[in-house]
Amino acid sequence: MTPMIDVVFQLLIYFIVTTKPIDVITNLDVFRPAPDQTAKPEEKPPNLVRVGIYQDGYTVNDVPATLELLDVALAKVASIDAGQTIMITVSAVSEHGQLVQALNLCAKNGLKSLSVVSASN
Amino acid sequence: MRKQYADAKLDMTPMIDVVFQLIIFFVVTAAMQDKLMETNVRMAMAPNGPVEEVKDPRTVMVDVVENGAIQIMKTNISEAKLFTLLNNARKTSGQSTPVVIRGDWATKHEAIRRVMDICGKAGLWKIRFSALKEKA
Repeated sequence: MTPMIDVVFQLLIYFIVTTKPIDVITNLDVFRPAPDQTAKPEEKPPNLVRVGIYQDGYTVNDVPATLELLDVALAKVASIDAGQTIMITVSAVSEHGQLVQALNLCAKNGLKSLSVVSASN
Repeated sequence: MRKQYADAKLDMTPMIDVVFQLIIFFVVTAAMQDKLMETNVRMAMAPNGPVEEVKDPRTVMVDVVENGAIQIMKTNISEAKLFTLLNNARKTSGQSTPVVIRGDWATKHEAIRRVMDICGKAGLWKIRFSALKEKA
């Protein structure tokens, strides 16, 4: 038995050294209005929460906000109605990471109805 | 009857051989699975995102690297080509074919928007963004 145990130990050490843990991936769902639908006239129903993402920060219903404030605002929205549609308008020059952070907060607060719109500028 | 088998010994060797074969098989197949998931993209963190248990086999993975180039399985792909690809995906597996966009965290939204617009043009509306839930 001894040589076999030696070999098994060698294999064990080899696999422990070579395996690297894989990252846990998550997928954030969004709803994307079709491009031609965006041409609709600007109507802002009161039950729509607008989140803006700009290069230098966020806005909630056009009020500038930090990521922490966005979290607080979304938590408040979710406590009233988690089915609330959040319209996320993203500036073209903002970083993708910022959008992911905003989506992360939406997921954290259990908001499911997310609509991502790209700002034209 | 019983006495006849009293001093019988179990030979372990064939079993160990089979177990080794199984180990080698699983190690090799697991490594192949890894290759498909490989990407040049440094994804943003989203610790609160949901974990997908069942993966839709129709899923199309589109990577957007830092400079805004579109990649599928580590190969650069033009916008026209992506459109043809997604259009074919819609024709063969329907409008609800999920598109997973793996965007680099430092990419400008501009590039992501291009991919989303192409998805829209191809008639695919199920868009998801990939992010890291936990960094290993």
